[in-house]
Amino acid sequence: MAVLTVKNLAKTFNLGTPRASRVLDDITFEVRGQTFVSIVGPSGCGKSTLLNIISGVEEHTSGEISLTSDEGRPARMGYVFQDPRLLPWRSVLRNMMYVQDDQGEATVARARRYLDMVGLAKNADFYPGQLSGGMQQRVGIARAFAVEPDLLLMDEPFSHLDAITARGLRAQLQDIWAQSKKTVVFVTHDVVEAVELSDRIIVLQPGGRIYEDIGIDLPRPRRQTDPTVATLQAEVLARLEAMKELGRTTEPVA
Amino acid sequence: MSTASQATVDRRRSTSEIERSTPAWRRRLTSDRAARVAALLSFLLVWVLLSLLFRRVPGPVEVVQRLGEEFARGEVFGNFGSTLYRFGIGVALATVVGIAIGVLMGLSSLSRAFFESPVLVALSIPAIIWAFLTVMWFGFGDLSPIVTTFLTSVPFVVVNVAQGVRGVSRDLRDMSSTYHVPVSRQVRDLVLPAVAGYIAAGVRFAIIIGWNGVLLAEWFGGGGGVGYRARWWYDANRFGGFAAWVVLFVGFIVLLDRFVLDRAIRRAFRWRDS
Repeated sequence: MAVLTVKNLAKTFNLGTPRASRVLDDITFEVRGQTFVSIVGPSGCGKSTLLNIISGVEEHTSGEISLTSDEGRPARMGYVFQDPRLLPWRSVLRNMMYVQDDQGEATVARARRYLDMVGLAKNADFYPGQLSGGMQQRVGIARAFAVEPDLLLMDEPFSHLDAITARGLRAQLQDIWAQSKKTVVFVTHDVVEAVELSDRIIVLQPGGRIYEDIGIDLPRPRRQTDPTVATLQAEVLARLEAMKELGRTTEPVA
Repeated sequence: MSTASQATVDRRRSTSEIERSTPAWRRRLTSDRAARVAALLSFLLVWVLLSLLFRRVPGPVEVVQRLGEEFARGEVFGNFGSTLYRFGIGVALATVVGIAIGVLMGLSSLSRAFFESPVLVALSIPAIIWAFLTVMWFGFGDLSPIVTTFLTSVPFVVVNVAQGVRGVSRDLRDMSSTYHVPVSRQVRDLVLPAVAGYIAAGVRFAIIIGWNGVLLAEWFGGGGGVGYRARWWYDANRFGGFAAWVVLFVGFIVLLDRFVLDRAIRRAFRWRDS
């Protein structure tokens, strides 16, 4: 059963003014349960705007979005941002509880379990300022998983981290995802990252249209050093290069 | 042929090394506490000099004597207690109402448009006008000083809190909306802690401005209190007694700020020091 359905979605900023600019155009896709979908594309192609529209932070101009939950209640969403977005005056555990509907003991235990999964069980009472950037981002990831979301949105969560920390967190994300099997929509500009993590890659082109929808059928867990992963990464990169070339020889889509 | 040049080594000392090599007396003399003591001593010195130069300026010794006499007459506790009661209620009301209006103004542009002009008008009315008006409206009693304290101090709390709320991180507010955090929890756990510094600044202003208000209302309205007693000495042309009451209340405000407000602020911001 589909969890997320996006149909003919469009977004124009400053609509009805001379400064109107269309950033998303006729976007249609479906994300089924327990899949990890990445949205990739060059800077400014509307990836983050699409995620913000799905999350409800941003309004869309036209088209439809629907989110389905199996349990007869409104669908829950988790969001991992580019930066951790933690309340600096609350401890790590209290930051995780801030976004929870239920504040009971069972929820605290669940929050602690996810903190343990990201290796921060001992830091539950620390303030964010006492943690490194990578540790803070792990809290952000644990917070998103701990709300037990029907759909988890991730907006370039590793883009502000150094390469070593980002690699460690990607491996950790794969492990948590393998255990929880949440439905994930992951925005990145890094094709290598997308191939390592995803079941499917949706490529957006400048002007905010879908260029290609690529299935990634590789066994998990995946590591960048694995030759099959590396080969597929090169192939997807080549397709993106082709898209770039096409953009140079044809009219802009927008 | 090359000549060997002498290498210059610029070795920087660590802070612990600098601390070790600085004599203890010098460290004490350049401490914050020494600066505070120096300010107090300078003030006392200027006061003594002025009292020696001008006959109508009572010196510190005379002021302390007059204060002692007031204690002996049993005037201090009753009058000081009355003022404290009126001042406390006025400032507490101003803090609660000011935070509520400030949060509304910070969160909603409609509330901002509604409250902006009244707050500006209230800010521009001096405490003495409120004192006259409340004495005319409510007569002699507790109500005039309480309302004067409230009216003079509430706009300062409102302006500070509204400014703080508008500065709350947009990212954190978006994060809260994304996770559908209830508005009451957003206000309690996000907005109020984020504006704690602005609230503290607003309450400090409220205390200082409210003090003016309560004294003026008591001065004109009678009915006991520090302002009333200060005026009694002023009418008797005895400036020592007048100054004794001023010193008593100023001393109280300074102690309140240092030992209550300052500690509360440090406690509220202990996460920042961690």
